[in-house]
Amino acid sequence: MASASVRTFTLLGIEAREVVAEVDVTQGLPSFSVVGLPDAAVRESRERVRAAISNSGFTFPQQRITASLAPANLRKGGPGFDLAIAAALLACRNELDPSALAGVALAGELALDGTVRSVPGVLAMAERAAELGIEKIVVATESAPEAALPAHLNGGSSKDLRIVPVHRLADLRLLGTSAEPSYDFSAAPRPALAATAGRDLADLRGQPVLRRALELAAAGNHGLLILGPPGAGKSLAARCLPSLMPPLSDAEALEVLRIASACGRADASLASVQRPFRAPHHTVSTAGLIGGGTPPRPGEVTLAHRGVLFLDELGEFTRDALEGLRQPLEDGEVTITRAAHTVRFPSRFLLVAASNPCPCGRGPTHPECECPPGAVRRYQGRISGALADRIDLAVTVEQPSGETLAGEPGEPSVAVRARVIAARERAAARQGDIPNGELDAAALRRHVRLTRAGRQELARGYRALGLSGRGHDRVLRVARTIADLADSDLVDADHIAGALAMRRKGAR
Amino acid sequence: MSAIWTLRRGQPGYPPALEDLERPPEQLWGIGERELVASLEPGRTVTIVGARRVGEHGRALAASIACDLAGAGLVVVSGMAYGCDSAAHEGALVGGGETIAVLAGGPDVVYPRSKRSLYRRILAGGGAVISERPPGTAPERWAFPERNRIMAALSCLTLVVEARAASGTRITADEAIKLGREVAAVPGSVTSSLAELPNQLIRDGAALVRDAQDVLDLILGVGVAAVERTGPPLDDELAAVLAAVERGAASPDALALAAGLPGDAASVALARLELMGYVTTGELGTIARTSLRPPAQPNA
Repeated sequence: MASASVRTFTLLGIEAREVVAEVDVTQGLPSFSVVGLPDAAVRESRERVRAAISNSGFTFPQQRITASLAPANLRKGGPGFDLAIAAALLACRNELDPSALAGVALAGELALDGTVRSVPGVLAMAERAAELGIEKIVVATESAPEAALPAHLNGGSSKDLRIVPVHRLADLRLLGTSAEPSYDFSAAPRPALAATAGRDLADLRGQPVLRRALELAAAGNHGLLILGPPGAGKSLAARCLPSLMPPLSDAEALEVLRIASACGRADASLASVQRPFRAPHHTVSTAGLIGGGTPPRPGEVTLAHRGVLFLDELGEFTRDALEGLRQPLEDGEVTITRAAHTVRFPSRFLLVAASNPCPCGRGPTHPECECPPGAVRRYQGRISGALADRIDLAVTVEQPSGETLAGEPGEPSVAVRARVIAARERAAARQGDIPNGELDAAALRRHVRLTRAGRQELARGYRALGLSGRGHDRVLRVARTIADLADSDLVDADHIAGALAMRRKGAR
Repeated sequence: MSAIWTLRRGQPGYPPALEDLERPPEQLWGIGERELVASLEPGRTVTIVGARRVGEHGRALAASIACDLAGAGLVVVSGMAYGCDSAAHEGALVGGGETIAVLAGGPDVVYPRSKRSLYRRILAGGGAVISERPPGTAPERWAFPERNRIMAALSCLTLVVEARAASGTRITADEAIKLGREVAAVPGSVTSSLAELPNQLIRDGAALVRDAQDVLDLILGVGVAAVERTGPPLDDELAAVLAAVERGAASPDALALAAGLPGDAASVALARLELMGYVTTGELGTIARTSLRPPAQPNA
């Protein structure tokens, strides 16, 4: 047999696309070429395949070898095709049984000694393989638990996919025999969905209003802005948030793991899956924050998917980076379009921003603050556009006093989380999957029913505080969450007042 | 934009009060209500000045005093600068009164530029913007002290809210003293740099003013006019939170701790007090007390 083909995958963003590796061996001057828009890592695959084959007890043919990766118009990157190219080459020369490779997909990198290494994105590849009705997927031994995640968390067609973990290239000889290795689902339990993540709210002493703001943010998925001087506990507060949010559902955990897997970081999170907490530094580039590059890679907003994105020193982020948050905040996903294809990254996160009151951090009322009034205004002005629309809550904090810090620990996260879960269930029963923080004007009219006193209180706020239409909607969203926490169908005056207290002050 | 008018020295309409100046302006350019300036009575006019960089405390003070004075029918004069000046104009507008902004550049040159909205509202509220410099002139540095002398001359009393010892506010106060006009100041903590000037002026003989009533007593005579501003009645919880603000709690957390309330109840109380007008919250979320007094408790 002079040619053979096997199935493998390439990663486009965080999704797997099927690729067929075809190898043709003919008479001619000994050569080895790879076609099908390979990048440098794929072209170097030739050297790894040659060495791995020779070192695994096979013979490398001194003939003219052409490997083609189809579809030919899709740009391919990374070392993940090594295993498939080697298998196809061996099948050409009947060193492997071609029939044993039917219905099999392979994904792995080869070491020169023939060891099979893991590649990023195995989770998405296993999902895709199951969708395509492929029977078995061959992966590196250390990737096998990752490949098993869809079956653990999602079941469905993923349960029918057999996972074949291999240590070395030579193990491919076992394919289709009775000695074929197989991943044992029962030996490796499904990952635990960790209930707690990050810091515990008990560590936040004093600061009752800040605690309340965190509870509201977690219960309604409202963007939160914490204003205050350095040392006021802004960052600690943000780190407490993941522990207040409900544990991830199986489907959400799979989304989080799919992203981690595509970034090659899934193994670390296998034991327990937590809501991610990402705190990019304010010098982060727009591509680093939103995603981008060639090939497109997920940014911080995607790494924070289903978790918390914390922007400390909000005023120091570049305007471009903050403007870039518009699409992820509005659509819950990032779309990156390249000439050849479009990649989508999910980005549903809870936004928490912290800011000093002015560039020097001391605040305009502090005797040593020398920031001109214009600078203070500009600093606060960064919170504009899309960001402003998604930040429903604002709270101003002060450095807690020494006696407060020495005082009793506050209510622990577990207790607050129980209330958050109850409020979210109440909201879900009413309006489905959309959290209160994402209700638009039309949905607000449908789901927020005010009592007479509530309506009056809102009208008073509108008059006395000069709320704009958008500010009005933000207050309604938060008031809905307060009512949910109070287990109330109707939004009452107290709920409106509680929301007014947390409005963003400068914003009208 | 309304038409620009002029008031020439020696011709009808020129405010006689300006003749007290060493160098009265030869003419004034103005936009807005010409009659307001032409018939200005210094005895019913108050100039309110203060630092540009002030906290919510200074802003709230300037605004609430201006609001009450405007409510009592007085005209409030200021310079439309950041901080105390614009708060005074805002307060006068809230109080439903007329207010005059004296600018350092031409009357049509809005400075600072970001006060465009205030500028429009001053004019829409029946007020006026005046300057001794022709339309289109940019506000040069040296023009500000010159402008300050006009502000001091237009009224019978210059009130200093919050300012540092060396500041433009000092120039206005000095001008008022030179003209023999009354100078009053709101005292502050002796350790606060923003209270330097008012405290110094009071030590040197300026009138100590706590609220708009004190100002009215000063210029109209005790008992002639009364600021009658009491807010809606307060329940025990709101009264406790208001007391915490009066004791100096300026952040929501400090307020909750001082009043011994959980975060949710404290937030609700804070919003209520704000809606009733007892406190204001600044852009940065700092809480300040206004001059609004709670009604006397019948059962207390």
